[in-house]
Amino acid sequence: MNANLKNSDFGKRLKTMLKVDARRMFTMPTVWIMLGVSLALPILILVMTSFMGGTTVNPQTGVEETVVTFTNVWQAIGSAGGAMSMVLTSMCNINLLYFLVAIFVCLFVGEDFRSGYVKNLFTVRSKKLDYVLSKTIVLFAASVGMFVLYFVGAMIGGGIAGLSFDLAAVGASAGGIIACMISKVFFALVFVSIALTLATVGKQKLWLSILGSLAAGMLLFTMIPMMTPLNSGAFNVALCVLGAPIFAVGLGAVSNIILNKTSLV
Amino acid sequence: MNAIEIRNLTKTFGEKRAVDSLNMTVPEGAIYGFIGENGSGKSTTEKLICGLIQPSGGEIKLWGKEHRDPEMRAKIGVLIEAPGCFPNYTVWNNMKLQAANLGIKNENEEIRRVLHLVRMDGAASNKFKNCSLGMKQRIGIAFALLGNPKLLVLDEPINGLDADGMRIMREILTDLSRRGVTVLISSHILGELEKIATHYGIIRGGKMLKEMTAEQLNADCPTYVALKTDEIEKTRDILQRAFGRADIDEQTGEIRVYNANAEDTAKYLFGNFGIAVSEIRTAKISLEEYYINLMQEERK
Repeated sequence: MNANLKNSDFGKRLKTMLKVDARRMFTMPTVWIMLGVSLALPILILVMTSFMGGTTVNPQTGVEETVVTFTNVWQAIGSAGGAMSMVLTSMCNINLLYFLVAIFVCLFVGEDFRSGYVKNLFTVRSKKLDYVLSKTIVLFAASVGMFVLYFVGAMIGGGIAGLSFDLAAVGASAGGIIACMISKVFFALVFVSIALTLATVGKQKLWLSILGSLAAGMLLFTMIPMMTPLNSGAFNVALCVLGAPIFAVGLGAVSNIILNKTSLV
Repeated sequence: MNAIEIRNLTKTFGEKRAVDSLNMTVPEGAIYGFIGENGSGKSTTEKLICGLIQPSGGEIKLWGKEHRDPEMRAKIGVLIEAPGCFPNYTVWNNMKLQAANLGIKNENEEIRRVLHLVRMDGAASNKFKNCSLGMKQRIGIAFALLGNPKLLVLDEPINGLDADGMRIMREILTDLSRRGVTVLISSHILGELEKIATHYGIIRGGKMLKEMTAEQLNADCPTYVALKTDEIEKTRDILQRAFGRADIDEQTGEIRVYNANAEDTAKYLFGNFGIAVSEIRTAKISLEEYYINLMQEERK
């Protein structure tokens, strides 16, 4: 019973690597925690902010200000038009998940290096591309799950908070919402690949990859509403469905070079 | 055929040359004892062989092919420093992951086989982080044995093992070697290494000082006569004058005389000086002594 990697082609190697990553994914508590947070987060946000509202006096300026809270459930998914403003509905919506995805990627990849598991992986695998590709696919799949659960959570939270489900009120349509979600899910691939690259740079230094990923996420955060507005159309979908994988392939190549050129332990 | 062939291998970390133009030949089926002081470059060399770090120069060949060749790499089992296991996973789940990584078909059967080999059948359901140091080392060996590798690279595998663990390890490695598996093993426990190694490589400052077979080492290790008398200092001086070299072993209180015959030495002492010998035996210097002498010579 010899190991089955010798003479194996790319497809077989990727299959075994995917099997390893999928197994890890389903046996790692962090995954379930992240999925749970994705479901609970919108419920908490929508229910808790429903108690806010009205006006408040800014203690520094003494000026009376209106608190903008969620009035419509679709605000938890995004805003039509794509402009980002510094208000609660713009900051505390589904786009927060991109940061959670980035942290999750760093934790998942970082654990390979911190536990020394990479020694087992890379002694028998000289092609680092399998690793990068498999991680990208598995982590993207997990991020899809997180986005779907956030969407479900937003619906539940909106129902509990008694928010309006009126699409027209926020300038969106059912098709626009679907296009928006597809765009958002694929845009997560950009965050996955950035965090993966930074995790291969940071290796055992988890703090470095997390900080780097969050910093990169901050730079991209303002772009997300423009790329994936609530009233997304075919252009937004095409941009994300085609653009994000191209971006991921580019950064994947960078990750591959990093793994090939640097010490793994 | 040589399982490992290294020529002019160099690895630098900044200004430091961890491995310096190292040459090394490990024949197929050998148990190659890789010996050196702490920081001499043993682990770095092993990591280079396994492709975990990139060489700054030189070449590594496995069975005549470039060491990055996927076909060659699939034949390696490794235990470097500590086993690469997820601490919160059970031993079984950790092994399942590695079995999947190796593409092993009958995973459960293979995992049971290697756990049984290292007498760790009962530890499968333990979380890895809850295992003792000795258990972790044995599990690390089981990891390395998954998928029947043709080359085992083991870095200090007997550290933390009890006497029984060391005996099991000896049996496993000797059996593997008999079946044609090549073992590269580094250890500071030279007494254990001496019992199993068929070849040796002694490294210092990243350079290979000496490579030899167990037979060559045996021939290189001088025999000596060890004896005990009541007048140690006086006897030592007499023997030194007569045979050129005589040392006192502080630990055993014996006098060691090199290039001498036990019977003649006893007769010479009693006949010429009236010194009675209470114990006398002939022995060979151990690998440990050989190594220590070599290191002392190198330091000079």
